[in-house]
Amino acid sequence: MSNAPKLSIVLMSPDMEKLHAGALMGSVAAASGMEVNFFVTMEALRMFLKETVEKQDFKVSGVGEKLLEKKVDLFYKMLEDAKDLGNLKVYACSLVVDVMGWEKEDMLDLIDDIIGVTAFFGIAEGSQIMVI
Amino acid sequence: MAEVHIDKTVDTRGSYCPGPLMELIKTVKAASVGQVIEVLSSDQGSAKDIPEWVKKVGHELVLNEKAQDGDYWKIAVKKVK
Repeated sequence: MSNAPKLSIVLMSPDMEKLHAGALMGSVAAASGMEVNFFVTMEALRMFLKETVEKQDFKVSGVGEKLLEKKVDLFYKMLEDAKDLGNLKVYACSLVVDVMGWEKEDMLDLIDDIIGVTAFFGIAEGSQIMVI
Repeated sequence: MAEVHIDKTVDTRGSYCPGPLMELIKTVKAASVGQVIEVLSSDQGSAKDIPEWVKKVGHELVLNEKAQDGDYWKIAVKKVK
């Protein structure tokens, strides 16, 4: 797999539409044979808390409302499913986790690890990085 | 067009992008080499997206047509490796 093309995606915004777009592109890339690594930071990480997902407490506007209304698979479901189809990892930003006092158990099980930027740059080396 | 032998049909009508593609990928992974998988999709992007995926991963597109009796596409892929 080390020779597979790589894509790295930084999720920063908590907006449902941005999370959805990022998760969609990443999951299709992984299912098409790319190595995909997500780094979830700032307020985007709040959307990966079990509590947020249980309460469906998302930040939505036009398209997001339709996604909910039409019961489209949301970002976390797409990422979970993509893990079964390809090489896709999701990392939580250690700064945010520390500052907010969250634990790994507070976050969805799809989060693979809590790492810092240096570790992520190592993982992302040689790939393009998309920031959303 | 000659009759295409279909081993398995995945009906994803009503599912949005990239649902049909992801269902197809899942089914192709589980299939044996040589089998033909057909996906039914009402998502407009599928007719363009699925052939692109097929080309990228090296399978064979054996059918891509709009169904006569409805607003959906029938796309069939032969697993070649």
